[in-house]
Amino acid sequence: MRALPAEEALSTRFSGRSTKNIRPPSFEPWRLWSAGRELLSYRDLLVTLSLHRLSVRYKQSILGWAWALVQPLALMLIYTIIFSVVTRMPDEGVPYAVFVYAALLPWTYFATIMTNSATCLVNHSQLITKVYFPREILPLTYVAAAFVDFLVGAVVLAGMMVYYHLPVTRYVLYLIPIMAVLSAFGLALALFLSVLQVRVRDIGLAMPLVMQVWMFATPVVYPLSAVPSRLRVYYDVNPLAGTIESFRRVLLQSKPPEYSSFAEASVIALVLLPVAYLFFKYREASMADFI
Amino acid sequence: MSSLRLDHVSKRYLIRQAHVGPAPNGLVARLRQRFAPAHVFWALRDVSFEVARGEAVGIIGPNGAGKSTLLKLLAGITAPTVGEISISGKLSALLEVGSGFHPELTGIENIYLSGSILGMQRKEISAKLDGIIDFAGVRPFIDVPVKRFSSGMVVRLGFSVAAHLDPDILLLDEVLAVGDAAFQKKCIDRVLELKRRSTVVFISHDLAAVQQLCDRVIVMNQGEIVYDGATAGAMTAYSALARFRASPPPRSEAVAKTAEVVSLEFLDRGGAPVQVVKTGDALRIRVEYRARIPVAEVNFSVFFYGADGTLHCQFTTWLSGETADLEPGNGIVEFTCEELGLQPGSYLIDAIIEQHGNNLDWQYRCSTIQVNSGRNVKGLFYHPHTWRETRASSILSGENVTADPGNHV
Repeated sequence: MRALPAEEALSTRFSGRSTKNIRPPSFEPWRLWSAGRELLSYRDLLVTLSLHRLSVRYKQSILGWAWALVQPLALMLIYTIIFSVVTRMPDEGVPYAVFVYAALLPWTYFATIMTNSATCLVNHSQLITKVYFPREILPLTYVAAAFVDFLVGAVVLAGMMVYYHLPVTRYVLYLIPIMAVLSAFGLALALFLSVLQVRVRDIGLAMPLVMQVWMFATPVVYPLSAVPSRLRVYYDVNPLAGTIESFRRVLLQSKPPEYSSFAEASVIALVLLPVAYLFFKYREASMADFI
Repeated sequence: MSSLRLDHVSKRYLIRQAHVGPAPNGLVARLRQRFAPAHVFWALRDVSFEVARGEAVGIIGPNGAGKSTLLKLLAGITAPTVGEISISGKLSALLEVGSGFHPELTGIENIYLSGSILGMQRKEISAKLDGIIDFAGVRPFIDVPVKRFSSGMVVRLGFSVAAHLDPDILLLDEVLAVGDAAFQKKCIDRVLELKRRSTVVFISHDLAAVQQLCDRVIVMNQGEIVYDGATAGAMTAYSALARFRASPPPRSEAVAKTAEVVSLEFLDRGGAPVQVVKTGDALRIRVEYRARIPVAEVNFSVFFYGADGTLHCQFTTWLSGETADLEPGNGIVEFTCEELGLQPGSYLIDAIIEQHGNNLDWQYRCSTIQVNSGRNVKGLFYHPHTWRETRASSILSGENVTADPGNHV
C-alpha cells in the first residue's frame, strides 16, 4: 500500500507528471505564478507553523495570551496620560483613550510584523540550510500570528467602544479592505527586509529605531487633521498614514475613508507586494549559501 | 522514465575575504571588505546524470568532492549557477534528523511540526501517527515536551517521522547511523523497504553502506564525476583518487604545507599493488611524501576506519620510539605487516604526517581497502597466533606443578 487515495489526489505524484525544475534564479514574472501554486500546495505547513508560533510563544509564561494585549494597552495608557492629562491633543471629539487605541491597534499589528519578520529567516537558518519549503512561509507565519494578536486586541477595542457608547455603523465594513491593504503592505516589507537581513544584518538592528520614528511620522497619537498642510506631502507618501487614519475614521467618526490617501496606500501596497515576492523568490535560491 | 535528471549543472560560490581572518575595525574597512573582489570557487563543474525510476544510486567521494553541494541542489535548498535539474514526483530529503523540532512542544506536536516541514500533509500525519510513535518507541512520553526527552529518544523520534515519508525519490545523507544497534537495524530495514518502491539517492563517504544499498555508484572528485557505473568498479575508482590528490584540492589553505602525503599504496608480499586483501595476508603500505624544506622529527600514521566511521587500527612510526628527519624532495615510508588482523569489510584510510603533536598534513579518507574473507575467526579481529599441544602427563609432572609461588600473587 502506497498511500491514502486522498493524498494521491492532492499531489499528482503517482502519475509522474508533477515535474519540478530547478534552474538558476531569475526575475521572470511568470515565476510568480509557479511560486504561488507551490505555496498553495504547502498550505498545511503554513497552518501548522502559524499555530506553532502562537502555541510556543506563551508557553511557560504566566500571563500567557494576555501578553498580546499588554503592548497596545500599555502604549494607550502612556499616551492617554501624556496627551489628555499633561497636555491636550486634538481628539476629534472622542475620548482620547479610544482615539489613540483605535490607531495603536493596527499600528501594533504592522510593527509586530516588521520587527518579527525582519529576523525570521536568520533565526531559522537551521531549517533553511537543511530542508526545502517555500521560504515565504516563515514571514507569512509571523503575519498570521500578528493578525491573531490583532484580533485579540480588537475585542478590547470593541469593549471600549461599548463602554464609551460609541455607535458602530455600516462604515465598519471598510475595515476589511483597510486591513487587507495594511497586511499586503506589511507582508511586502517583511519579504523585502527578511531577505535583505540574510546578507546585511544591520536591518534587524535598525528595526526598533525605525519603527519608533515611523510611528511618530504616522497619525497614531495625533489626528491627520492636526498636521499642517505644508507637511501633508510627507504623509501622502507614507502608506501607513492613509490606512491607519482611515481605520480610525471609519470606526470612530462613522465616515468613509479619505479616498485619495487610502487609494494611494492601496496602489503602493498592491504594486509593492508582487515586486517584493519576486525579489524574495530570486534571493531565496541562494539564501542557504549566505545565511 | 527518469525520475531525476541533471543537465550540465555547475555551482559557483563566491568566497569573500570576509570569511577568513578577524573582522576589520572601522566603517570604511568593513565596506571595502564587503565589496572586495571575491575568490571564485566552483563546487560543481558541469555535472550531468540521470537516475531512472526505482534505481538506487550511491554518490561517494572524498571531502570537498561536491557531495554536499549536490545534495543541497537536489533537495532544492540552493539553486545551481548554470544548468537545470528536473525532478519527477515527490522528493524527500533526509539531511538531518529531527528537522524543525522545538524543545517546548510535546512529542505529538513535534511529529506534526517536523512532518509538515518535511512535506507531509496533516491528514497523512494523523493517519501514520501510531506507526511513527511505535517505531520510535516513545509512546509513554508522547505528551511530554521534547526538552525532557533523552537525546536518544529525540533522535529516534526524528528518524521515525522521516521514515514515514512516502516519497517517489528519497535523498539520503549519512543519517542512518542513529540510535543503538537495534534501532539502526530498524532504520536500515526501513530504507531497504522504501528502496523497493522509491528511487533512492544515497550520499556518503561510507563505501560499505553504499555497496549494501545501491546498484549504481557515482564517484565524485573536486566537483566532477570521475566514475559512474556498477558498484563493483566504484571501489577501484575511489581508491585511484588517492593518487589524484597529489595536487592540493582548491579548498585547502593557501599556505604551502611543509610536508605532505603525495600517494598511498597497498602492496602484497611480492610488492605488487593491491586493493583487495584477505584477513591474515601480509600487507605493505607505501606512503610517498614530499617535503618542501627540511623537517625534523616527524611521525607518519595510517588509520583504518570501518564503514561506520569507527577507528579499527593504526599503523604508525610512533611505536618505534624513533622519528624521521625529512629532506626536501620526495621520499617513501613503508609499513609492513606480516599478518593482517582486520576482519572482512571496506576500510577508509586516513594518512597523517605529524611533528611534535601538530599535523603537518592530514589526508582525510584518502584511500580505501577491501578486506575479504581469509583467515577468519569469530570476534572483532583476527589475532595472529600459534599453538602447540602438550601431553597432560607432562603438565602434571615436573616443574609445572611445583611452580614458583610468586606467580599466584
